[in-house]
Amino acid sequence: MHELAMAQSITEVVVKKARENQARQVNTVRLLIGDGSGVVTGPLTFCFEMIAGTEPLLTGARLEIERVPHRARCRVCATEYTIPDFVICCPNCGRWESEVISGTELQILDMEFEAENEQGVQLCQN
Amino acid sequence: MPKLTIAQNILAANDTYAAGIRQALAPRHIFSINFMSSPGAGKTALLERTIERLGGQLQIGVIEGDVETSADAERIEAAGASETVQINTRGNCHLEAHMVQAALDQLDLDRVELLIIENIGNLICPNAWDLGEDLRVVITSTTEGDDKPSKYPQMFADAQVVVINKIDLLPYVDYDLEKARRQVLALNPQVRFFEVSCRTGAGLVEWCDWLADFARREVTSGSKELQR
Ligand SMILES: Nc1nc2c(ncn2[C@@H]2O[C@H](COP(=O)(O)OP(=O)(O)O)[C@@H](O)[C@H]2O)c(=O)[nH]1
Ligand SMILES: [Mg+2]
Ligand SMILES: [Zn+2]
Repeated sequence: MHELAMAQSITEVVVKKARENQARQVNTVRLLIGDGSGVVTGPLTFCFEMIAGTEPLLTGARLEIERVPHRARCRVCATEYTIPDFVICCPNCGRWESEVISGTELQILDMEFEAENEQGVQLCQN
Repeated sequence: MPKLTIAQNILAANDTYAAGIRQALAPRHIFSINFMSSPGAGKTALLERTIERLGGQLQIGVIEGDVETSADAERIEAAGASETVQINTRGNCHLEAHMVQAALDQLDLDRVELLIIENIGNLICPNAWDLGEDLRVVITSTTEGDDKPSKYPQMFADAQVVVINKIDLLPYVDYDLEKARRQVLALNPQVRFFEVSCRTGAGLVEWCDWLADFARREVTSGSKELQR
């Protein structure tokens, strides 16, 4: 159940950022997850909601997940293609010499939150 | 509503620990390996056989990951490891770099040239956590069925070495070596294979010779970059 550990890492980062930015409530967290990362959307959302339920700053927070296709480019004929089930064979020339160009992402993109004090919001980017 | 850009890898905290481990091991010329497999494929058995054969020429340190108990660490010590530390994850399905860092703090690194980390038996979860290793070895065995590489592609795709263990049982099980190899090559054309039996010793000379050479080459070239 590596999605649980992933959800824990996400909430740690988000809670830290929320505190730094005097957030009262985090509403949405957006992620970029590659299809080649091995992370499944359903379990990740489930685990995130479970942990969010125990953290006041994250009560009711939603996870929005953008998936990135797992794609490769053939080093021989330059064909770009979506990798089926991790098998990195070029559908055009049949060679096994491709490089993965996307789909390994595991990124926290951004979050939307309600500030403690609506007037003086100062975004702290680190 | 304020929006804050985070743009950070989910496992950034783990990657920081992993980078710290590489920084600690590289100047000491310690070569490190992450052993991964499903439960019972033979990680501990391969460790024991490797230590018995190479222990005389290389100082081998072992970090033994297990959900509970220290039974495997005791087997490893009996085989003659220079240094052994047990990590019990208490239910966690994989090792993380901070656990390895904590284990390293308990090892006398002056007595280690080759560090082998036995991950938790699981073909899915450990893959995403970089432990600061130089080499990933996936062990699969003839009793698990020859379809494992296709069913758990990611771990096989990211390994530099695949060891097929328990070849002594080939006459008794329905396992097609060629089929298993083909599946792995489809995921990972550059992979290096070894076929061994930790019971009879078949194939272990090739594995140990290659490992000893590889560890020495890494040490002399000082190149610690994982070639993925
Ligand atoms: N027949 C046979 N049994 C083996 C071999 N290697 C390991 N075993 C047995 O498989 C079981 C699991 O091995 P172990 O090393 O504990 O697996 P681990 O869970 O991956 O660490 C033990 O009972 C071993 O004795 C082998 O090459 N042949
Ligand atoms: Mg074991
Ligand atoms: Zn091609």
